[in-house]
Amino acid sequence: MTSRLTVNKARATKVFLSAILILIASVAVYAFLILKHDPSFVDLNERLLPMSWQHPFGTDHLGRDMLTRILLGFQLTVGYGFLALLLAVAIGVPIGVIAGFKGGLVDRLLMRVADAFLAFPDTVVAIVLSGLFGAGIENLLLAIILVKWVNYARLARSTVVAERQKDYITMAKINGLSEWRIMWKHLFPHLIGHILVLASLDLGKIILLISSLSYIGLGAQPPAPEWGAMLNEARPYFQTVPALMIYPGLAIVTVVLFSNLLGDYLRDKFDVKKEVAE
Amino acid sequence: MTLLSVQNLTVQAGEVPLVKGISFDIQKGEWLAIIGQSGSGKSVTASAIGRLLAPNLKARGKALYNGKDMLRFGAKEMRRLRGTSISYIFQDYQGSFTPFHTIGRHFDEFLKAHFKLSKAQRREMAEQTLESVGLQPEMYTRYPFQLSGGQLQRSSIALALLTKPDLVIADEPTAALDSISAFKVLRLLADLQQETGCAMLFITHDLRHVRKYADQIIVMKEGAVVEKGDKQSVLDQPQHAYTRSLMTASPSLSAASQLLKGDDTSCVYCN
Amino acid sequence: MRLLQLNDVQKSYQPGIPVLKDINFSLDRKECLGIVGESGCGKSTLARCILQLEGLDQGEILFEGTPLHNKTERDIRPYRRQLQTVMQNPASSLNPKLKIRHSLMEPFRQYGAQVSLTHFQHGSEEEMARQLMEAVELSPDLLSRYPHELSGGQKQRISIARAISLEPALVVLDEPTSSLDVLTQMSILKLLDHLRDALDLSYLFISHDLLAIQALSQKILVMKEGQIVDRFEKGDLFAHERHPYTKQLVSLFD
Repeated sequence: MTSRLTVNKARATKVFLSAILILIASVAVYAFLILKHDPSFVDLNERLLPMSWQHPFGTDHLGRDMLTRILLGFQLTVGYGFLALLLAVAIGVPIGVIAGFKGGLVDRLLMRVADAFLAFPDTVVAIVLSGLFGAGIENLLLAIILVKWVNYARLARSTVVAERQKDYITMAKINGLSEWRIMWKHLFPHLIGHILVLASLDLGKIILLISSLSYIGLGAQPPAPEWGAMLNEARPYFQTVPALMIYPGLAIVTVVLFSNLLGDYLRDKFDVKKEVAE
Repeated sequence: MTLLSVQNLTVQAGEVPLVKGISFDIQKGEWLAIIGQSGSGKSVTASAIGRLLAPNLKARGKALYNGKDMLRFGAKEMRRLRGTSISYIFQDYQGSFTPFHTIGRHFDEFLKAHFKLSKAQRREMAEQTLESVGLQPEMYTRYPFQLSGGQLQRSSIALALLTKPDLVIADEPTAALDSISAFKVLRLLADLQQETGCAMLFITHDLRHVRKYADQIIVMKEGAVVEKGDKQSVLDQPQHAYTRSLMTASPSLSAASQLLKGDDTSCVYCN
Repeated sequence: MRLLQLNDVQKSYQPGIPVLKDINFSLDRKECLGIVGESGCGKSTLARCILQLEGLDQGEILFEGTPLHNKTERDIRPYRRQLQTVMQNPASSLNPKLKIRHSLMEPFRQYGAQVSLTHFQHGSEEEMARQLMEAVELSPDLLSRYPHELSGGQKQRISIARAISLEPALVVLDEPTSSLDVLTQMSILKLLDHLRDALDLSYLFISHDLLAIQALSQKILVMKEGQIVDRFEKGDLFAHERHPYTKQLVSLFD
């Protein structure tokens, strides 16, 4: 009975995830192939228009097409979020694997460095970096990478430490595999699942961070169609034209929700214990 | 005189029967061994008699202890019985000890619960008991992780026999030990049984563990009893093919050289 | 020349607490030497030293006359294919994330090209896998399964197949039957005995089970507290001149 429930839930998540993907894809196709607006084309005669076939989401205070901006914002917000995530993983995982596998002094050194980074909350680092180097999406990304790689290093390390002592690693050694091959062939497959789960959950958090810091003016700068920045620009109109805030807000919610559901889905999928039970 | 009489005991997990209507008696001071591979229902039988079944398992039938059905006892009656007349020894000796309490503290708490003794008397009795199971009195101040598996299992045997129970239920007490320590613990158990005259319900998967000490043998397979009788008759004239294959797989030491020769009948049970 | 020779081997993890003391013994080709002892007697450490997973404090380990001890991993690697092992726990000696085929064929992938085989036919990977599965009496269908889909006995057979895949000179069997039930234990012992004959292997068989040791080995060493206290031919187990500890073991097991 419980298993049936879990299966149904997993299927529902899958359907929902696919639905969001299809929705985004079809709206994007409609906007880019049929409408073809310039996201930064200012036309003060067409400002604050309600929805129409020409402007499905209306226009903003400078007469720019909202749908186009939201969709390009997807590219910007999610794209940058993804980039930051990828770099954090690329830095953190090798460090964690090496620390865990080598142990001893290397391990202690790398992990103390990681601890030092862990001591600062991401928002604070972002604000400090913007203060030092000026506001901008690049500094924001740098801050995110600086803070996030630690999580991946720690995750990779703990997984490697747990697996390292198992007999099959000893067997690999006895079978003459080099340390690099053992790490790649035997330890890495254990990491992929864990890392995908953490990364997909992190993606949502990073997108929220980019948007919220852009909202307070520390991330992407206008006229870039970043969702957080769009929310900020829409503030003066929130009583007269609330749609200007609702669309970017909805976009953020949808993507964050998507990322969380994806994380849950992957966690269930990579759960080895569940595999064994089946 | 019959101490425990199990009649038509059935244990089910939902609709799935794990033990299928088995019956047997244990006389006072007798050593009864139940042998079976994992999944044969032998441990479930022991848990059912001790009222230690997991909540999703339901037992039916009777387990008459001195004529009274234990399966119908209330929680209070059961607790009194466990404290005085029935003791348990488990396979998982590690789980039987709280890791951050000394061995002495385990003894002390147990003695406090069951006897009216002064602190000094309790300590003396605990140390005597440790010695009686072949451990040094210094173990009193040690923590469980400082003891080997065999030493821990000896301690739990010492605890189980402190109240001089009439019945000891030993559920694979040697399965987690290496075979040398296992045989040593087994011999200790046999010595203590001789000394105290308690009856023993001994669960094992290894026929070698019952050769020497058991009085009665029950062989279980897939929840049912396939063979039952006193030791000599079961070992001399096994009726069931399964018993015979268990016997070939665990010969006496002098026959071990021949173990790997001969025909390959046992391969029916491969893996 | 002896296949394996240990001279005065000493090993301790903490100063003053020796785990192995003055270990001397040798092993010939096609021989099975049994080492019996309680847990904690140092027999598993001995296995790790012979497999070059641990260094020595003193003494030497010679393999066909060549010293193996305290070499770098790179220098050891050429010997690894001659020196294989089967470990106690079948559940953990196979990587749970890899298919059986992958784990089984790992040594062959690593060394296959350089090795000339006498008993197996050197062929494609698929052909080798099939021969190995046949040698350990398993269906080739299992190759595409994952370890958790196999029983303990089946997993142990896979570990054995992997260990013999390059026809090594010596297989260290570190309690290969201890975590299996009696009937499976017996079938694994039979398989090991058969393979030694068929493939001209030598075994160093380590176990706490005197019965299994007596069944499989020709010579037996008894270990106690890091030392070898008794050594004898299989047939002399019950002889009068046995060490008191051996006699105690016999009385326990008989």
